[in-house]
Amino acid sequence: MQPFIQFESVSKSFGSLAVIDSLDLTIHKGEFLSLLGPSGSGKTTILMMLAGFERPTRGTITLDGMRIDQLPPHRREMGVVFQNYALFPHMTVAENVAFPLEMKRLPRHEIARKVERALDMVRLGHLKNRRPSQLSGGQQQRVALTRALVFEPRVILMDEPLGALDKQLREHMQLEIRELHKRLGLTIVFVTHDQSEALTMSDRIAVFNAGKVEQIDSPHAIYDTPRTRFVAQFIGETNLIEADVVNVQNGHATIVLGADLAAKVRSGPELQAGQKALFSLRPERMRLGADPAGDNALDMTITDCIYHGDHMRVQLAKGNFTFTARCERLAGNWTVGTPVVVSFDPRDCTVLAP
Amino acid sequence: MSRAPARERMGALLLIVPLLAFLAVFFLWPLWTMVRASVVDDTVSRVLPRTAAAIVSWDGQGLPPTQVQQALVEDLRQADDQQALGETVRRLNSAVSGFRTLLTRTTNAVRDGTDAVAVDLGDLDRRWKEPRFWLALRDAVPPYTDRNLLAAVDMKRDAGGAIVSEDPGASANRLIMFRTFLVAAIVTLASAAIGLPYAMLAAAVTGWKRTALLLAVLVPLWTSLLVRTTAWFVLLQNEGLINRALQAMGLIDSPLPLIFNRVGVVIAMTHVLLPFMVLPIYSVLLSVPRNLMQAAASMGAGPLRAFWRVLLPLSLPGLLSGSLLVFMVAIGYYITPALVGGANDQMISSVIAFYAMGTANWGLAGALGVILLLVTMILYFIYGRLSKSPQLLGA
Amino acid sequence: MFRTAQILFGVSVVIFLLMPIVAILPLAFTSSVFLTYPIEDYSLRWFVELATADAWRLSIMNSLIIGLGATLLSTILGTLASLGMRSKALPFANLLRTMFLLPMVVPAVVLGVGMQMLFVNLGLASTYPGVIVAHAVLCVPFVIVSVSASLQGIDPSVEKAASSLGASPVMVFRRVTFPLALPGVISGAVFAFATSLDEVVITLFVAGPNQRTLARQMFSSIRENISPTVVAAALLLIIGTLCLGGLAALLRWRQERSALKAVP
Ligand SMILES: Nc1ncnc2c1ncn2[C@@H]1O[C@H](COP(=O)(O)OP(=O)(O)OP(=O)(O)O)[C@@H](O)[C@H]1O
Ligand SMILES: [Mg+2]
Repeated sequence: MQPFIQFESVSKSFGSLAVIDSLDLTIHKGEFLSLLGPSGSGKTTILMMLAGFERPTRGTITLDGMRIDQLPPHRREMGVVFQNYALFPHMTVAENVAFPLEMKRLPRHEIARKVERALDMVRLGHLKNRRPSQLSGGQQQRVALTRALVFEPRVILMDEPLGALDKQLREHMQLEIRELHKRLGLTIVFVTHDQSEALTMSDRIAVFNAGKVEQIDSPHAIYDTPRTRFVAQFIGETNLIEADVVNVQNGHATIVLGADLAAKVRSGPELQAGQKALFSLRPERMRLGADPAGDNALDMTITDCIYHGDHMRVQLAKGNFTFTARCERLAGNWTVGTPVVVSFDPRDCTVLAP
Repeated sequence: MSRAPARERMGALLLIVPLLAFLAVFFLWPLWTMVRASVVDDTVSRVLPRTAAAIVSWDGQGLPPTQVQQALVEDLRQADDQQALGETVRRLNSAVSGFRTLLTRTTNAVRDGTDAVAVDLGDLDRRWKEPRFWLALRDAVPPYTDRNLLAAVDMKRDAGGAIVSEDPGASANRLIMFRTFLVAAIVTLASAAIGLPYAMLAAAVTGWKRTALLLAVLVPLWTSLLVRTTAWFVLLQNEGLINRALQAMGLIDSPLPLIFNRVGVVIAMTHVLLPFMVLPIYSVLLSVPRNLMQAAASMGAGPLRAFWRVLLPLSLPGLLSGSLLVFMVAIGYYITPALVGGANDQMISSVIAFYAMGTANWGLAGALGVILLLVTMILYFIYGRLSKSPQLLGA
Repeated sequence: MFRTAQILFGVSVVIFLLMPIVAILPLAFTSSVFLTYPIEDYSLRWFVELATADAWRLSIMNSLIIGLGATLLSTILGTLASLGMRSKALPFANLLRTMFLLPMVVPAVVLGVGMQMLFVNLGLASTYPGVIVAHAVLCVPFVIVSVSASLQGIDPSVEKAASSLGASPVMVFRRVTFPLALPGVISGAVFAFATSLDEVVITLFVAGPNQRTLARQMFSSIRENISPTVVAAALLLIIGTLCLGGLAALLRWRQERSALKAVP
């Protein structure tokens, strides 16, 4: 895939407040890229620079090799779906959807045809003469989406488009958007701070923190091999372990966790014996009970056990060293104080950049 | 990067400039004209420019030197604007009586003579040998004066130039200002006394009752001011509905005097201004959580104590801005006192209108206007400080 | 006991507020020349007088001409300025806003005196343009308040959406901003017209006998020689302003409702 949209050392500040700091970002044609990050990390700002409502303080943005950062919004051909939908309250559904086509000065009959087809595609044909105020939240959302799609923009930008919907509707719309993306081969940049949404929908996720990209990768890689402490903590739950590396050998390292517990983990090329390093281990990747492969078997004690419905969360300790594990159900009658063997696969423990 | 905001600013300015220009010409300029009229006094110096220039060198002792006298002769010979000359004569005659005949005679004599002949004024008329005419002329030539501003507060300069009070009885401006503030204060108090409990009531009830209470405030606000004043004019008559009703009920024997006196003015003005009191208090009370009074009650405060300690303090900001608003509008009121009041109820606006339209005394009208404007602006400034959004009249 | 007092108080204030307006209206239909109750005989003679007497007819015509002129002028100027004041890039925005609202605050007599002096010099005294301009000054604040409020109610992202969908700035204004602001513009115009209709004091200073408006004519007939014609005129004004006020309220209500509903 060749780069389609490219941010090159883009910075943005509002007055003295630097919001984006020298950002490099590449977006491929036809991909679904999510921008994920905590509130205030600059996601909306990036989207607004792409759409043309904000101008970068420094740096360039190119689309298909052409610089666009000085272009006004109405010449960028980007369909934007706003968080509150921004439907025109004084126009009907059909008029809303026809608007971008009228701006393109298409002939009347063609507009009518395209509007019809687009509304049928999202199953809203029967509502075309209603005003936005007469629609439910989900219907408004679909109109906004249709309006952004109908003029065949080069990119679709969405800023937390599902934030205002309830859980069920949100999951339904996630599927629908994903579906449209695949069927029409759209390039979508999707802002969210819901990590499960990002994980389920995206081809790639860019995790932001304080105006910088922490990691940009496939959902799988983001979850399984987080590269920074921030990503590991922000996505899902994790045990962060600062440990001494005692031995490195054919891709594996032996580390001392503390309290005399030693474990074998997968090692990156950068690990050296005698070093301190930071590791991440997901709670659900741990098993209580001896592992048949027998790579890691730690003797620990259960200190707390919390029921979560579909799973249990178990606190484990040895001396002042603690772990959180997650398991489907408790085997046996383990209660607080029970000694237990904890095991995990060395490949599930990731080395983090310090 | 910085070009976009600059262009946007240009666009915004272009949209604003028409109104700005319009208001500058038709709003600020009139006010400026009025302010100028109160301090500018160039009738004399415009007609007698040479005299005005020459007379400043005279120390006021004895008679002025001959070049001043010659300057006056020259000025009178050249004066061709009869209207301006007439005004000058009137202005001087009001300072020293006898100036009218003196100037007319002198002007005629000067015009009859030829240019070459030097005229001796003292020979022409003996009065030119009296210093008081020259002193009056000297006093009249400076183009700026504080005479009007002083007169507006019943003061003047005596012969020595010191500021003294006007003789009692000569003018009544201070009395009228006092009356204006008094009536405005009474109206404000009455509005507050009715408006505060009314607004609280409106905020306390719900549903159609609240709608009805608010509508009762808004309908008069939408109704023409003139209509409301007409209504009171008719109702307050001796033969009017109120007196008739009271008589029919046997409460009074002869009609109460309600119109052309202070009572009528206060009733009608309170009616007109009450909405300005109710609406600010009501909007402040709306933002008070409903359960505060319940909370106070739960902590053991009886209704009266809860009112005194909770509701009243919370409604004070609204009461304050409502009072300022009512007072500010009341001091500038014209129509209602003019129609419903008697001769002793005329407020400052009526006096300004009288000087401007009745006697064409622009200077004094302007000076009183300046005072009224100043007081209003100060009140408005305080009002703007108190209520964050300086919006008026619930429009 | 407390409740009874409350009800009594509420009802008496409502009566105080509404009674004068309600009580005089029937007098417009009296056949007598006196404005007193009881009304012996009903007739429309005072309305006929209103429609036929030259002074009254002229004044009604003048009110309409001057009202429309002042409304047009103040609505155009006020709407443009409100649009300009939306921009965050504007310097001294607060000062400008205060200045635009000031005609509502300055006592009418003060402004009237100033206008009379100035208009004589400008040759505008006792002319239609002079009176229209003077009324427009007083109408401007109402237009500004109303239009600004409706502009504030427009969600900025709606305009952004329009431009991302390919609308040029001019198009965004024509197709989105202006239609959404229109109710505010109309209600501003209604307020402006009602203001001009009711204006007496400034008219007293700047208008000549030929520009006597209905309000001015009422004022002088109350002063000089009140007759039921004045009440008939008052009835006309009440109906006029109530209709206009109702229209403005309706527009505002509809606007608020659609604004509320637009939020999901
Ligand atoms: N117009 C503006 N003027 C000044 N500061 C701004 C402006 N817009 C955004 N900011 C600041 O820039 C930072 C990033 O804002 P941005 O809206 O991009 O965050 P976000 O990642 O979208 O957050 P959220 O998840 O809450 O929407 C914030 O600190 C915000 O306060
Ligand atoms: Mg955001």
